[in-house]
Amino acid sequence: MGILNRRLFRLISNSRGQFIALSLVVTMGILIYISMTTAYYNLSQAQQDFYQKTRFADYYFQVVKAPLSVANQIQALPGVMKAEGRIQTDLTFIKKNGGRGTLRLTSYNLPMSGEMNQLVLQKGRMFSSDNAQGIEVLVDPQFAKANGLEQGGTIQVIAGGKELPLQVVGSAASPEFIYLMKDSASLLPDPENFGVIMMSYSAAERILNMQGQVNQVIVQLNPGTREEEIKGAGQDLLHSYGNLAAYPRSKQLSDAVVKAELDGLKVSAKFLPFLFLLIAAGIQFMLLGRMIRAQRTSIGIMKALGYSNWTVISHYLSYALAVCLVGAIAGCFLGVGLASVISQVYALYFNLPGEIGGFNPSVIIYSILISLSVGTTAGLLACRAVIRIQPAEAMRNQAPVKGGAVWLEKLTILWQAFNSSWRMSLRSMIRNRTRLAVTVLGVIGTVVLLVIAAFSNDAVDYMMTRHFLLENRYDYLVQFTTPIRQSELFYWQQWPELRGMEPVLDVPVAVTAQEQSGAGQKEENDVLQGLQLREQMTGVFDEEGGPLEIPEEGVLLNQKTAKKLGVQVGDSIWVETRLNTGPTHRWELRVVGVNQPLMGGGSYVSLKTANRLLGESGLVSRLLVKVEPGQGEAFSARLKDMTNVSSIVSRAEEKAGYEKMMESNVFSIGLMIVFAGILGMAIVYNASLMNFNERQRELASLRVLGYTRREVSLLLFKETGVQALLGIIIGLPLGRWISKAYVASASTDFYSIPFIIYPRTYALAALGAAVFAVAGYLLILPRLGKIDMAAALKNTD
Amino acid sequence: MAEEILMHLEQVSKQYPMGDVVVDALMEAALEIYSGELLVIAGPSGSGKSTMLNLLGGMDQPTSGRLFFGDQELSSASEQQLTQYRRLQVGFVFQFYNLIPDLTAEENIALAAQLVSDPLPVEDALQQVGLLERAHHFPAQLSGGEQQRIAIARAVVKKPRLLLCDEPTGALDYQTGKSILGLLEKVNREMKSTVIIVTHNTAITNMAQRVVRMRSGRIAEIFRNEEPWPPERIEW
Repeated sequence: MGILNRRLFRLISNSRGQFIALSLVVTMGILIYISMTTAYYNLSQAQQDFYQKTRFADYYFQVVKAPLSVANQIQALPGVMKAEGRIQTDLTFIKKNGGRGTLRLTSYNLPMSGEMNQLVLQKGRMFSSDNAQGIEVLVDPQFAKANGLEQGGTIQVIAGGKELPLQVVGSAASPEFIYLMKDSASLLPDPENFGVIMMSYSAAERILNMQGQVNQVIVQLNPGTREEEIKGAGQDLLHSYGNLAAYPRSKQLSDAVVKAELDGLKVSAKFLPFLFLLIAAGIQFMLLGRMIRAQRTSIGIMKALGYSNWTVISHYLSYALAVCLVGAIAGCFLGVGLASVISQVYALYFNLPGEIGGFNPSVIIYSILISLSVGTTAGLLACRAVIRIQPAEAMRNQAPVKGGAVWLEKLTILWQAFNSSWRMSLRSMIRNRTRLAVTVLGVIGTVVLLVIAAFSNDAVDYMMTRHFLLENRYDYLVQFTTPIRQSELFYWQQWPELRGMEPVLDVPVAVTAQEQSGAGQKEENDVLQGLQLREQMTGVFDEEGGPLEIPEEGVLLNQKTAKKLGVQVGDSIWVETRLNTGPTHRWELRVVGVNQPLMGGGSYVSLKTANRLLGESGLVSRLLVKVEPGQGEAFSARLKDMTNVSSIVSRAEEKAGYEKMMESNVFSIGLMIVFAGILGMAIVYNASLMNFNERQRELASLRVLGYTRREVSLLLFKETGVQALLGIIIGLPLGRWISKAYVASASTDFYSIPFIIYPRTYALAALGAAVFAVAGYLLILPRLGKIDMAAALKNTD
Repeated sequence: MAEEILMHLEQVSKQYPMGDVVVDALMEAALEIYSGELLVIAGPSGSGKSTMLNLLGGMDQPTSGRLFFGDQELSSASEQQLTQYRRLQVGFVFQFYNLIPDLTAEENIALAAQLVSDPLPVEDALQQVGLLERAHHFPAQLSGGEQQRIAIARAVVKKPRLLLCDEPTGALDYQTGKSILGLLEKVNREMKSTVIIVTHNTAITNMAQRVVRMRSGRIAEIFRNEEPWPPERIEW
């Protein structure tokens, strides 16, 4: 074996370009496999551990107000293991610059021992339940960072109609706030304007004036308990306290987002490595196939000398295994590195205590095994040809190069349109079907990767455009703590910096399709947004993206709610108000249209209808404002001292914040483009080189005939060009389809990414693939210059 | 008669590095080639005849000495100029035909024809070599002799001033080989092309107007046949 091993090294060294290109494809596959799998494993492990350690609650009931003791009643329900009451409510905070934001106050019982949704301290210390100096709180780390809050700092909040300072004693993570967004209508986290504060129950009841009362009951279920059962029983029990919402953990925003991320990773961790390794296997198959054909005489001699089939096969198989081993080892190193980068990105977005890092030896072992089995399979398939080589015949003569008509020639009219160099290329391509298939597959892969890379950008761009230009056209959104009278806004109109304002009244409701609510009745929570007729600052769109007008009567029902309840335009729905003050009201509304917002829920009625639902008139809960150019600051300053303003959202600031956040996308897009480039160049380089090697004699003949180097290179490029073109034609729709499948896999019915690909993206993906193909081809050009005409013509081997 | 000189070599030498040694493949060759003659370069293997052919065909350049085609100095020509020279002036016929397997006989000829502005019609070239009815066959479907005829047709279709033949009968049986020689003689006679046949087969020298004998990288002798034999008379 010593000599054969030496020969193997020579084989590798003589084909080092191809060896490197091929190893790179394997490297990419393994790199993606390791990084994605590790990231998936780490994130999911971190999430599971965290959920378990902190006893993440299974079910949530939200009421207007209930005595602390209801928790005990809920706990007595069959199927409930544990129930706890707490206070959770949104407060306004005043930023250092006078701006407003929202803080979600959540109360906790001290000392924390067997409680659900426990806190894990990240920095500082736990808040105390009573402190003469003031109220101590913990905040979420992102909020602290975005607002420059240090331990010992204070936050000004508005509670019970007055400003109140809260002392920050540290930051903490909680299983329900791993991913923080205000609501499902938010695009992305906005830690500057939204955060969580955690404090003791006794402090919360005091500042909110809710002595002995709670507004949330969180529940841990016995294993096997059905969520619907507990929902019905719980809501019946809580009926007199004003049911606002009841939802399982899976409808909890943070959980849904983490799940979507995990699902996306899981799909990527399978699909992308599969693509790379499949293509690597294809290239290995054809590379070895060609090597065996070209070395037919040598193989004949080895066999004549007495080497067994198996020895010869393992000789060539070793080549494939060497490729895979080199690729796997490089992939392991890079993969572990990339996994840690991904973990760092997660640490940026997800509030998970501790490191989401870690090294996973089993993934590494798997990836080496996968890689080697890919090499073995491709190698063995190609090496079957060794068995058929008869020594005597192989040594006597080179197998004649086949030449003959191909099926395409039957299309006479078409065929006659090609000149002889095109005919050469087409015949060569049709005859080398494996090479054609593998190359086209490689280019398809390149195009698909490029489409996927750019698609996420398109989706984000579309979301931004739709959110900031179409759905929300105001400059500022002013939210009131409790609804105010429209007449109170009279004096606002005197402000010179104001260009226009539109009042909105939001009414949270439970929607049913039948008149009688009760067991087995489908019920959906929704928010009816009461807007002025002919309003200008909010865009409402139907499912096809066409604009909808706010109707005087009836409702533009949210598409998700309509689908869940099975109602259509023309049907009636019954809504029950779920405002946390005042009595509940029940009304029938006709569905006059179905609206589909970009994110989250929300149905639309006229401002008048919204007021009528509450038995009121002229109430406003938020205000959309347009200001004169450059007058934003002046406008904000006017609101500075108003305690009933809970938040002021500047659309421009919000947009800038999101854009900054999306910058991390550049990294993943760049990485995908690099992967696509390596794949495209490696495959085209390999295929072109094989083509070149096989046709060297032919090309030498052409050079002797007087064909210029350019003409010969163009001839060779025709084949590459046609393959790239085929790959692009198939790759574009496939890329679209795969992106769509990816979106579907990473969407919950609660949180989803829109499926949008701009036409420009297809053009760029096609162009990118073409550039990579040409680049791969250019790598072989130096060889064209080195064709030894005399030798090539003399030598028959 | 005053013969027009087509090519001339002045003290042309060619050395190849081969591993650590330098091989003198051709040493101080001086030769004039006349327009329209049939010249045979003969010699055993290693005598330098293939090197001579490569130099005459513009596939290689001498290490020293000068080589002219008419007024053009090939020994100092650029790569592009050499390509143009091969393209416009030279037709090649090889021992192993070197047809493009992926092209039919007709297409192989057309491939050469499209390089020049005024080629022979492809049918005429096929007619010349007597294979008009095989026009649509692929090389793999043709016998060796037929492939060599197509190769000759491919060479003459450009109407080259110089037809270089490297062991044109080397891979063929006796009868077929003789018919190929007949074809080359016909091309020389009818098309007035200069035909140079390079061979180790001394019998073929009998059909030449002039013979260059080579030995160990040197021209050993040059002599003129006053009465060249018709190819049918040649035996080996």
